Amino acid sequence: MRKFTRYILQKFSWYLLAFFLALFLNFLLPRLVPGDPISVLVSQMMSGAVTSEAQERVYQSFIQEFGLDKPFFVQFFTYVGNVFKGNLGTSFSLYPLSVNKIMADALPWTLFLQFPAIIVGWIVGNLLGAFAAYRKGNFDRILFPVALFINSVPYYCLAIILLYVFGVYLRWFPIGGGYSRTLLPSWSWPFIVDVLHHYFLPFISIVLVTIGGQAIGMREMAIYELNTDYVTYCKMLGMGDRKIQSYVFRNAMLPQITGLAISLGTMVGGSLITEIVFGYPGIGSTLFNGIRRLDYPLIQGSTLIIALTVLAANFIIDIVYGLIDPRIKAAQVEGS
Amino acid sequence: MEESRKIMLKVDGLRAYYKTRSGERIRAVDNISFNLMEGEILGIAGESGCGKSTLAMAMSGLFLPPLTYESGSVFLDGENIIGKKEEELRKKILGRKYSYIPQSAMNALNPTLKIKNFVIDLLKEHDPRMSKKKVLDLTTERFESLSLPPWVIDLYPLELSGGMKQRVVIAVSTLMNPKVVVADEPTSALDVTSQKIVIKLIKELFDEGIVKSVIFITHELPILRHVCDRIAVMYAGEFVEIGETEGIIFNPIHPYSQALMQSILVPEVGIKGKKLPSLPGSPPDLRKPIKGCRFADRCYLAIEDCRKRTIGMVEFDSRKVRCIRVDHIKAKEEVVPHVQQ
Amino acid sequence: METLKLLFKSPKFIAGLGIFVFLFLTAFIYPAVVDKNPFEMVGLMYEAPSSRYILGTDNFGRDVFVELIHGMKTSLIIGLFAGVIATAIGVTIGLFAGYKGGTVDNILNSITNIFLVIPPFVILILITVSLRSRSLAVMGLVLGITSWPWTARAVRAQSMSLRGREHVDIARLNGASVVEIIIREIMPYILSYIFMAFVLQVASGILNEAGISMLGLGPSNVVSLGTMLSWALLFESVRSGAWWAFVPPAITIALITFSLYFMNTGMDEIFNPRLRS
Repeated sequence: MRKFTRYILQKFSWYLLAFFLALFLNFLLPRLVPGDPISVLVSQMMSGAVTSEAQERVYQSFIQEFGLDKPFFVQFFTYVGNVFKGNLGTSFSLYPLSVNKIMADALPWTLFLQFPAIIVGWIVGNLLGAFAAYRKGNFDRILFPVALFINSVPYYCLAIILLYVFGVYLRWFPIGGGYSRTLLPSWSWPFIVDVLHHYFLPFISIVLVTIGGQAIGMREMAIYELNTDYVTYCKMLGMGDRKIQSYVFRNAMLPQITGLAISLGTMVGGSLITEIVFGYPGIGSTLFNGIRRLDYPLIQGSTLIIALTVLAANFIIDIVYGLIDPRIKAAQVEGS
Repeated sequence: MEESRKIMLKVDGLRAYYKTRSGERIRAVDNISFNLMEGEILGIAGESGCGKSTLAMAMSGLFLPPLTYESGSVFLDGENIIGKKEEELRKKILGRKYSYIPQSAMNALNPTLKIKNFVIDLLKEHDPRMSKKKVLDLTTERFESLSLPPWVIDLYPLELSGGMKQRVVIAVSTLMNPKVVVADEPTSALDVTSQKIVIKLIKELFDEGIVKSVIFITHELPILRHVCDRIAVMYAGEFVEIGETEGIIFNPIHPYSQALMQSILVPEVGIKGKKLPSLPGSPPDLRKPIKGCRFADRCYLAIEDCRKRTIGMVEFDSRKVRCIRVDHIKAKEEVVPHVQQ
Repeated sequence: METLKLLFKSPKFIAGLGIFVFLFLTAFIYPAVVDKNPFEMVGLMYEAPSSRYILGTDNFGRDVFVELIHGMKTSLIIGLFAGVIATAIGVTIGLFAGYKGGTVDNILNSITNIFLVIPPFVILILITVSLRSRSLAVMGLVLGITSWPWTARAVRAQSMSLRGREHVDIARLNGASVVEIIIREIMPYILSYIFMAFVLQVASGILNEAGISMLGLGPSNVVSLGTMLSWALLFESVRSGAWWAFVPPAITIALITFSLYFMNTGMDEIFNPRLRS
């Protein structure tokens, strides 16, 4: 077990490093914008509405908050310090709302949408892929190009088309948002039903695209596993197909878990755009609004939260994988 | 050979081919016939790609695609196993009567399954009523009798060394006391010490009567010479010579057997996986039908007649040779320099 | 030459290549022959498809068909450029890491792994947000430098497996330099592999362009498939039922990526015999 602890520690320091790099990029890149974005923005967003005195006050408060009058590296440490204190700053466009508050409102929606959708898509995709590999023949011949085509349809395109067909044309589902504006959020049946009604289309569009990609990967892995020596050996010893298939499925599934970890970033990215299409009140829509209004604190807050969530999810997947795949365990033994 | 002994395995005119994607047939096993007696160990020798391993698969009666059955029969303990339903083959024959020790034990075990769980799965497939405890008792007992440490069953295949893995595979393959065991180059990937242990192990199983008859597919001279009763030499999907061990090794008749034995006997030349150094050319393309002797193009004795018609086995003493130049070879016996003993 | 012949026996490769070449030629020949400005407002907002505008007009009253062809050209250029950049970086890093091994490999592989776990999407947003103007070349460059880690990882594995080959040893003993060995003794053996990676990178470049454009961070002052979708979404074409504003670019993106994936699958079946089932 001590070896496993070491494995976890090693992975952890790894992700910590990646997190710091993400943090640094998050800090650095928006600062490369030419000119003085804050003064431009403050005058833009407050023009006409308030006196120049008020503008100046807001301007100074931003300068203070980011320490923009300080040397570069001091700014970085201020930034890192703030992030570790859990302070993501104040939004430009929704001043004086804090980015923390906006994120706290948006993140649950994103997690509620993406987590189940990716998991369901992953499981169904793997089952279909494995099935295609065993069955070969017509099932495979039809399923494979279909999966490949769905996989080529970008998340957002599928989302737009689903929204149009089922929301606008057939009117089966609402055309956007997380819940009806006429209802107040509460734990009541009508509200929950309403939320699920809004949930369905974005959910299904993420699920479908995930299925496509996963089915293709799983099919390849399963075909590879079906041609391995242990399968032949099991057959020669008279083991039944069903049992062998369960071996193949398990062994092909394990690399698919790392596959999930690697493609998670891309999946989340795609799903964020799906949110925008459906006007779903999550991080994706927040980010979109931030970009349209050049609200740097909001953009930075969103990208940081996304990076952090993806890194955390990856870390968890790595640990689960290390726990269940003896091939990794053995590699640890060999490595020590 | 005492004819009173029981015939354990009778292979009669077995033909099988691989179907390629473009629809061509690679005839890897072509008209193979032989008898394996009870209590006999037969060695099958030949270069890589001559169809030895395919033969081992085909004799099981289970034709895994792309391998396809063409004709012939295989009698195991008097019962023709070709054409049996897959279900029956699985339940009654494979693993129980006919067992197989694969070429590369390295990857023969499911990497994500502990040995004991694999054994439980395997035996329960054959007898669902068997309890886990009984399976484990049987396995540990067998492991102990083969001087394999019993705790091995708690490990994953990756935690075993190569030699250990091969021994486990041998123990697992023979767990159900099969009558015939086919070992496909069981030692080719091992170091010398492990090789000896593995050979000893199979010998032990045989001597104790756990398995009745063994077929060894191998290049290794020690196995051929010290373990096998008879040797068959295979070339391009056919047996070209079959006979008693000493004779085949030290007095091969077929020109191909001569070349093969020479390279086996001179270890530094070695033939592991490589073409025979002493022979010009390469084996024929099995995708095309071949008229006459398959070895003719590489044979120093080939005459026109060799290429004209199908060559049958010529039998004399206890030897069978697929060559029409036998008389010529025998007459020149003293002149043709053979390998020094 | 043999390989090429083999490739042309794969129906998947042929089909994929056929679709791609058709789209590519349309995108480049049409604008050269028909001189129409995609930005010209020729009609009213969201005019339905008619004999005059076969794909109708968009929110600015521009001809969707003309936009689509120009957008396809832009997306293809960006995708190809991004593919070249990503493949060049990925292949260089992968080859060196795999061949050199040891410390060089450790460092390069660590960098690759870190960039694999930080969502490329995030880096893409951060970079594009910081740019005032995003020309075609800049877009291609940015998309390329955020998506190389995939290629690096795959090429490294291939290059490692070649390191111990006899011909590589011989070259080393003959005093060839590292760069010479990599270019002459390793790269030729994985060319097919590199090409497959390139095809996938082009597809991902086109997809990512569209994705980032949907966020409003697409190339400036040109029509691309992504900006078309972004406008369609921003100006409520979906909710007002103007399907012709978003269906054509969506299908075109899907068709381009599909053709590239299909080519890749065809090549994979030829080059990786284990997948021949």
